[in-house]
Amino acid sequence: MHYDLIVMGMGLSGLMAARTAAEAGKKVLIIGKGMGCLTLFSNTIDVLGKIPEEARLKDGLSQWIQDHPDHPYSKVGLIGIDESLSSFTSLFQSPYSFQTIGDRNSFIPTGAGIMRPTYLIPDTMVAGVSGNKKALIVGFKGFRDFYAGYVANPLKWRGVTLSIPDVPNQEISATALSRWIEKRSFRERIGEEVKKRLNGETSVGFPALLGVNDPMGVKMDLEEKIGVEVFEIPTLPPSIPGMRIFNRFKEWLIRRGVNILSGYSISKVSLKGRRCEGIHVHHPPVSTLYSADHFILATGRFMGGGLKADRRRIFEPVFNLPVSQPGSQEKWFEKSFFDEHPVHRVGILTDSSLRPIGEAGKVIFENVRAAGTILAGHYCLDEKSREGIEIATGYWAAKNTFQI
Amino acid sequence: MATVNSKRMDKKTWPKSNADVCIRCATCMAVCPVSRVTPLFPGPKQAGPGAERFRKSGDSSVDEWIDLCIGCHLCDMACSSGVNISELNLMAKAKYLDEKGRPLRDWFLTHSFLFAGLASFFSAITNFLLKNQAVKWIADSLLRIERRRELPAYQSPTFRQWFRKRPSSPPFEKGGDACLPLGGQGFEPYSKDRKKVAYFYGCYTNTNEVDVGKATVQVLEANGLEVILPPQECCGLPMLGNGNFKGARKMGLKNVPSLLKAVRSGLDILFSSTSCGHMIRHDYSHLLAIPGTEEVAHHLFDLFEFLRNLRERGNLNIHFKELPLKIAYFPPCHLRSLGIGLPALEILRLIPGLEIENIEADCCGMGGTFGFKKEKYEISQEIGKDLKEAIDRLNPEIVLTDCEGCRMQIRHLTGLKVLHPIQILRDALSDTK
Repeated sequence: MHYDLIVMGMGLSGLMAARTAAEAGKKVLIIGKGMGCLTLFSNTIDVLGKIPEEARLKDGLSQWIQDHPDHPYSKVGLIGIDESLSSFTSLFQSPYSFQTIGDRNSFIPTGAGIMRPTYLIPDTMVAGVSGNKKALIVGFKGFRDFYAGYVANPLKWRGVTLSIPDVPNQEISATALSRWIEKRSFRERIGEEVKKRLNGETSVGFPALLGVNDPMGVKMDLEEKIGVEVFEIPTLPPSIPGMRIFNRFKEWLIRRGVNILSGYSISKVSLKGRRCEGIHVHHPPVSTLYSADHFILATGRFMGGGLKADRRRIFEPVFNLPVSQPGSQEKWFEKSFFDEHPVHRVGILTDSSLRPIGEAGKVIFENVRAAGTILAGHYCLDEKSREGIEIATGYWAAKNTFQI
Repeated sequence: MATVNSKRMDKKTWPKSNADVCIRCATCMAVCPVSRVTPLFPGPKQAGPGAERFRKSGDSSVDEWIDLCIGCHLCDMACSSGVNISELNLMAKAKYLDEKGRPLRDWFLTHSFLFAGLASFFSAITNFLLKNQAVKWIADSLLRIERRRELPAYQSPTFRQWFRKRPSSPPFEKGGDACLPLGGQGFEPYSKDRKKVAYFYGCYTNTNEVDVGKATVQVLEANGLEVILPPQECCGLPMLGNGNFKGARKMGLKNVPSLLKAVRSGLDILFSSTSCGHMIRHDYSHLLAIPGTEEVAHHLFDLFEFLRNLRERGNLNIHFKELPLKIAYFPPCHLRSLGIGLPALEILRLIPGLEIENIEADCCGMGGTFGFKKEKYEISQEIGKDLKEAIDRLNPEIVLTDCEGCRMQIRHLTGLKVLHPIQILRDALSDTK
């Protein structure tokens, strides 16, 4: 099969690249070894949490770009970042849409009991912003990825843990709980229980699992039953809000005729001179060749398998692209856990249109671009910029590929 | 089991299905259809790599929940670390059932091919019995085959009989309501030196849904191909799914020589059942180490994958008539696990007037024989409910899906007309109704 574009990687950057190309009418294949890391990391959309609290994002980004010429944001530029975020938000129409408050970062509570800055927030989390209101935090017995007291205590809120009537003394997973909560009868029971326990609180926070398909319907129904505002709090993986993002992209891409292959890794690439001609996908015992005019590598970092490490070096397994990294393994980590570890900054160096470059800035393949967290020059964990980098560079790589 | 097992572990090509590469990220927990509906199954992360770290070959199995893994492979496809979770589950299931023993019921459910010929010949009597409430009650209480589940009716003549008896040179009238275009613009379907293809139709098409086979033959002939039916038996997937490696391997050993013969005479082999196809293409070599399978696998194609390849080369007959239908398409788990995308959806979108949407749901919940089992029926229905809701949202006239298990389950859940996509493609190629 021949495509206009093959996107490798099914995280947010790959999905954005596929969306951008498909929107321009291109024939696209997106392939992932797994389903990407959206359910691992993402709940809201971080763009740049590290800027001063009161700064408008545009001002913060603009300053950031000036100060960090090698950062992925500097390659995309302010306008590109803005366009990419608009493209993302336009995919999520009401009732489950993403919003930003006053063009600034907002602080939302997390399952770790801290307030954390983020930029685009799904409607289900808005009522939790800044935590001015007195909130009651609700956890569920048997759901071990969220402890109400652990969240509530540091924030000086109150936490309660409810037993789930139908599954006494059982462990329950996030997906099971989010499915339960989609049932009206279940909501009636917990709504009543929560209402009884309110003690002057003006909002109620649940772990972020108010359903996969209709979270706003679930939220509004709970609000009606409890009588106060309800919000979701991001917690440990698997992230249900991440699933919602993944599912929405998948639905849109399939409708647009994008071919999606999840579960298979690339065993080999076919190269000719400075061009990539195709990828071989191995599903034992069969190996299939997919060819394309263009390629975007969006395979992520260590968790997604985009970067690998042995005892000597860090490498990129698909094209064996050069990885910008410290000279030796001793330099990957600092002594203290909370230090800034150089290993977080390793990645692929590119030109301004995201084509990987080697020594002396020479473009390695004319028709291959890299996008997402695999890029060098950022420290998304600390910058709180993961989703923003993924969205902006995924968009930018596809846009540059086709000169859209 | 032990011998098969050790054989496959010796294979040098065996990918590292090492539990230790699991990074415990829980992505698989986002997609497992079983742990989503019941807390009785701990989910792929625990049941697969989690428990595997405690399993020792000499110890007896304590995995009493392992039988609840439905075998959909969705966890494998979600894993970014390349852990073949469902295979770890299947091995553990086989060990557990080998030790604990299998109920007689499982033998019946996985050996229906033994009496399918007879059941089909006496279809009037068989179907009367299969629908009879007293018989179903007995099956339910003695064999623990759920009485609320419809047992599939048998048809006569079988697909193979129909194929043998039909006039050898078209035009022919199909048993149903359509006949095929002769020629079409630019196509000469019945030229003398037509390219031949072999067809693996599977048990269910042969005795229970004969029209799927007819439609396959008619579409292929309308594309100028001659269809050959190599001798074949049940692919063995029902047995493998129930952890019976030995039985499944026996079936594979019967099928592969016949398929290999077809391949060596220059034929591609097509399958219309994605489950049978997945079994032959991947499980035969991967899990069962059946000699010759790899050669077969390289020439084995999903029917719509094959048609998509024809289209890519400009050889697909696309003289479709308008078909004003509202259709919902469900991609079966085994199709997704084949890693070929959604070729049926791609081809059907070429039919003018056809309004077709992909159903956004994970698994139908049938899991082959899983949904027939009394103790698993409720789980099967709970999984199915999510699919039913997704179908209700689309409100289609007809539902299409490539797998017979999914078709049974969707009929059971919705009461809608459920067909194989090839049947609609055939209708779009038919001149008259």
